[in-house]
Amino acid sequence: MNRYSIFSLARNAVNYHKDWEKAWRSPDPRPTYDAVIVGAGGHGLATAYYLAKEHRMTNIAVLEKGWLGGGNTGRNTTIIRSNYLQDESIAIYELARSLYEDLSQELNYNTMFSPRGVMMMCQTEHELRAFKRTAHANRLAGLDCRMIDRAEVKRLCPIINDSPRARYPILGAYYQPRGGTGRHDAVAWGYARGADDLGVDIIQNCEVTGITREGDTVTGVQTSKGYIKTNKIAVVAAGNTSAIVEMAGVGLPVESVCLQALVSEPIKPVIDCVVMANTVHGYMSQSDKGELVIGGGADGYNNYSQRGAFTSLEHTVTALVETFPIISRLRMMRIWGGIVDMTGDRSPIISMTDVKGLYVNCGWGTGGFKSIPGSGFVFADTIANDRPHPIAEPFGLNRFLEGRLIDESVAAAVAH
Amino acid sequence: MTGRVQLAVIGAGPAGMAAAVEAANCGASVVLIDEQPAPGGQIYRAITSAARPGKAILGDDYENGAKLTDTLAASTVDHWTATTVWQVTPEREIYMTRDGASHRITADAIVIANGATERPMPFPGWTLPGVMTAGAGQILLKTAGLVPQAGLVLAGSGPLLFLIAAQYLRAGGAIEALVETTPRSNYRTALRHLPGALRTPGYLRKGLGLLAELRKHKVRHVKTATRLQAVGDGRLQALRFSRAGRQHEIACTTLMLHIGVVPNVQITRALNLPHDWDALQRCWRPRRDADGATELDGIFLAGDGAGIGGAVVAELEGRIAGLASARALGTLETGKAEARLAAERSRLAQEMAPRPFLDALYAPSPEFLAPPDDTIVCRCEEVTAGQIRSYVGLGCIGPNQTKSFGRSGMGPCQGRLCGLTVSEIIASETARPMAEVGYYRIRPPIKPVTLGELAALHDDQAAAADRSLENAS
Ligand SMILES: Cc1cc2nc3c(=O)[nH]c(=O)nc-3n(C[C@H](O)[C@H](O)[C@H](O)COP(=O)(O)OP(=O)(O)OC[C@H]3O[C@@H](n4cnc5c(N)ncnc54)[C@H](O)[C@@H]3O)c2cc1C
Ligand SMILES: Cc1cc2nc3c(=O)[nH]c(=O)nc-3n(C[C@H](O)[C@H](O)[C@H](O)COP(=O)(O)OP(=O)(O)OC[C@H]3O[C@@H](n4cnc5c(N)ncnc54)[C@H](O)[C@@H]3O)c2cc1C
Repeated sequence: MNRYSIFSLARNAVNYHKDWEKAWRSPDPRPTYDAVIVGAGGHGLATAYYLAKEHRMTNIAVLEKGWLGGGNTGRNTTIIRSNYLQDESIAIYELARSLYEDLSQELNYNTMFSPRGVMMMCQTEHELRAFKRTAHANRLAGLDCRMIDRAEVKRLCPIINDSPRARYPILGAYYQPRGGTGRHDAVAWGYARGADDLGVDIIQNCEVTGITREGDTVTGVQTSKGYIKTNKIAVVAAGNTSAIVEMAGVGLPVESVCLQALVSEPIKPVIDCVVMANTVHGYMSQSDKGELVIGGGADGYNNYSQRGAFTSLEHTVTALVETFPIISRLRMMRIWGGIVDMTGDRSPIISMTDVKGLYVNCGWGTGGFKSIPGSGFVFADTIANDRPHPIAEPFGLNRFLEGRLIDESVAAAVAH
Repeated sequence: MTGRVQLAVIGAGPAGMAAAVEAANCGASVVLIDEQPAPGGQIYRAITSAARPGKAILGDDYENGAKLTDTLAASTVDHWTATTVWQVTPEREIYMTRDGASHRITADAIVIANGATERPMPFPGWTLPGVMTAGAGQILLKTAGLVPQAGLVLAGSGPLLFLIAAQYLRAGGAIEALVETTPRSNYRTALRHLPGALRTPGYLRKGLGLLAELRKHKVRHVKTATRLQAVGDGRLQALRFSRAGRQHEIACTTLMLHIGVVPNVQITRALNLPHDWDALQRCWRPRRDADGATELDGIFLAGDGAGIGGAVVAELEGRIAGLASARALGTLETGKAEARLAAERSRLAQEMAPRPFLDALYAPSPEFLAPPDDTIVCRCEEVTAGQIRSYVGLGCIGPNQTKSFGRSGMGPCQGRLCGLTVSEIIASETARPMAEVGYYRIRPPIKPVTLGELAALHDDQAAAADRSLENAS
C-alpha cells in the first residue's frame, strides 16, 4: 500500500497524480471465507477493518451490491455527536466519537473529522426542559456538554435570528463542543483501504441473493457472482438488512422511511458550528466547499423509493428561512433522500441471531454515520468471539422480547 | 396555478407546441409550461418578438415557426411562460418556480418536450473568456440582434454550425474562418447512407445552399482539423489546430464551438426512466414507444429531448404525443386516434430518412469525447480530464463515484455540461461499454431553485399524510 504522507504527495504531484496505486483491489470472490460481511457501507467496512486488525481474521470478504460507500454512508449529512439520553447509547456513541478523534492517524487517511461543535436549539419550553434532563444524564456519564443561553447561541452562530418574537424563538441550546462533522466518503474509503491492505476482499457489484443453512447453522451465501461458502455471515445492509436476513428465516422489527437532505450553492463561510433545530425537524452546517448542508425530518410513512415528499422538506426549509433569514436567496443545488432503517425505540440492533453464524447490525435510522467506528469495533468483537461485546449487548434483538427498550425517541426527541 | 390539470406539456418548442395544440383540439384541457418569456423553443426562439432579426437573416425555416405560434395563440392552451420546471415525479407531479415562488401541480398526463442541449466540446482552452457555444451566439442573435463584428472563428461540425455561419453573414457579420473537425473517415461511412437520404432531398439541398453562401462570402473553410487548442493570456487570442500534420494558428477574439446537439435527459433521468445508449450519435435516449409513451403511465416524450431529429421531426412527434395523450385521457376515440396516428407516423418516417446520413457524417470526433488530460471537463467544479482518469486509477468505477472523488457534476449546471464526457472517459479508461458505465444519477432540482422560493411552495394538495414523523435517534 502507498503510505500517504507529505513526501508521497509531493512525489506524485510532479507526475500529475497519475502514479498513485489503487486504494483497494477489485478481487474476484474466493470459494470460501471465514466470514462474509454483507454491505460495504461505513458499518460493514469498519467491521471488516476491525475484524482483520483486532482479531486477525483476514480471510474475509465484504460483498456490496453497488459500490462501496454508495449507500447511506455516502448520502448523509455527517453530524457526529454522542449526547444521547440513555447510558447504553452514550457508551456506544461516545466510543465512536472518540475513535473519530484520531481516525485519520489510525487509517493513514484524512477522514476530515471536524469537531466544530454541535448546538441543539431549544425553541419551546418543552424542548428546553427535555434537554436539561439530557444534560444532567450526560454529565453523570462524564460527557463534555453544557446548556448555553440565547446570548451564547448568538455569539457562536451570528447569522441566527434571535428575536424573541420569532415564530420559533431561541430559548437556549444544548451544546457539545467536541461534536461536529466528518467526510462521509473518506470514512468509507479509509476503512476500505485499511481493510484491503490487511487482506480483506472487498467485492463490489456483488449482490447477495440468498443464504443457505444446514439445520440452524449458516453455510454460505448465494450472490450475483456465484456461491460462497462461509460459516459466519454478518449482515450490515442498513434498510435492506431485514430483507436479507429473511432469506435465512429471521425477522427483524425494522421499518423503512425516507429521510431527505439538500445542499445550497457554495458561499463564503457563515456558520462554523452545526445547528440542529428539532422542533422544526431541521438542521444545518456548512461544508468545506461552502455549501450549506440542510437536513429535514423523515417522511411520515414507510417507503423504499429513495425519493421523499417535497412537502416535508418544505416545512423544514420554511422554518429554517425564518431562523436564518440570510439563506432565503441561496439557490438549492440538490435534494436527495435515503431509506433509513428505524426500530421502534430508535436505537440500533447489534446482535447475534437464533441462526448460528448469522449476525446483524442495522437500525441506525437517521443517525448512524456518527457511530461507524464504534459500531464496527464492537460488532467485529461480537463476530470474532461469538458472544456480544459488552457495549453491544444491550442492543441485542432479545431486548424487543424482554421489553428492555433503549428509548431514544420520546426521551431525547432529536434527530441525528 | 396549483391543483390538477388534464395534460401538462413541458417545453414550448415545435414539439411541445404541436403536442399542446393537438391535444387541446381534441378537447383536453392543456397547460404548456416553458421557462422562456415567449413560445418557440430553440429554433423559433423570439419568433413572436417584434425586435427579432428578419426573415432575410434567419431564413425560411425560422419563419415557419410563426404558423405554430399562431395556432397556439388561437387554441385553448393555457401557456405559462417564464415558468421553470425543477422536478417531475412518476406520480405526475410537476414542481416549478415562477415569480419567486414554487408551485406544484398534478397532471393526468404529461408530455415532456424539453428539447436538446449542445454537446459539450471540451479541448484545452475551451473555458477561456471569449469562447462560447455557437448556440449561445445564435441566442444572442435571435433575441438581441447581436453580431460579432470582427475576430470571429467558428469551429466544430454539424449542420447547425453552417446555419449559424450563414445567419451571421446575412446579418452583415464577418467570419475569419470556419474550422471543421469532421473526421475524414466520416465521409466514407456517410456515403453508404446517401441513397436513403435522397428520399427526402430537401435537407441536402439546404446544406449545399449554406456551403455556397460561405463560398460566396469567401469565408476561409478549414476541413479535418484536429488537436484544437484555444490560447490566450486571460482571454482568447487564437485558435490552434493541426491539419495534415502541420500546426496552424488563427488569431481571433470570439470562438464559437458546436459539435451537434444531444437530448436533454435531466428530467427523464430524474424520473429514473430507462435510457439507451446511441452509439452513432453518442448520446443517451430515453426509451419510448412509437407514440412517445414511456414506461411510466401517462408520461410521453416528444422532440429533440427524446432523440435528435430536428424541428420538423419534433413537430410531428409532438402531434403524435398530443394525440396519444388525448387518447389516454379519453378525449379522443381510439379508432379515430389510430387513423390519425398512422398518418403522422408515415410522415415522420419520411422526415427521418436523411438521419442516418447526417448522423454518420457528423458523428463527433473522438478527440472531443475523451479530451486530453489538461482539459477542464466539469466547468462548475473545475475538474480536468486527467483528474477523472486519476480517480479511475484509484478505483473509481463509475460516474456517480467521480462525484465523491472530485465533485464533478455537482455544480450549478447539475452535470449537464460534463455528464457525457465523464462517462466517455471512464468507458475508455476501463474499456467498458457506455451502457454499462451509465450516467450521473440526476438529483432534483433539475434547475436550481432558491430556498426562499421553496419555502414559499404553493400547494393546494399538501397531503396531510406528509406531516413528518417526530423522528429520533
Ligand atoms: C439524508 C440522510 C441524512 C443523514 N444524516 C446523518 C447525520 O447527520 N449523522 C448521522 O450520524 N447519520 C446520518 N444519517 C444516517 C446514516 O447515513 C446511516 O445511518 C449510515 O450511513 C448507515 O450506514 P450503513 O453502513 O449501515 O449503511 P449503508 O451505507 O447504506 O450501507 C449498506 C450497504 O449495503 C448494501 N447492500 C444492500 N443490500 C445488499 C445485498 N443484497 N447484497 C450486497 N450488498 C447490499 C448497500 O448497497 C449499501 O452500500 C443520515 C441518513 C440520510 C439518508
Ligand atoms: C442552442 C440550440 C440552437 C438551435 N438552433 C436551431 C436552429 O436554428 N435551427 C434548427 O433547425 N434547429 C436548431 N436547433 C435544434 C433544435 O433542437 C430543434 O430544431 C428543435 O428546436 C427541437 O424542438 P423541440 O420542441 O424538441 O425542443 P426545443 O425547441 O429545444 O424546445 C424546448 C423548450 O423547452 C423549454 N424547457 C427546457 N427545459 C425546461 C424546464 N426545465 N422548464 C421549463 N421549460 C423548459 C425550453 O425553454 C424550450 O423552449 C438548436 C438546438 C440548440 C440546442
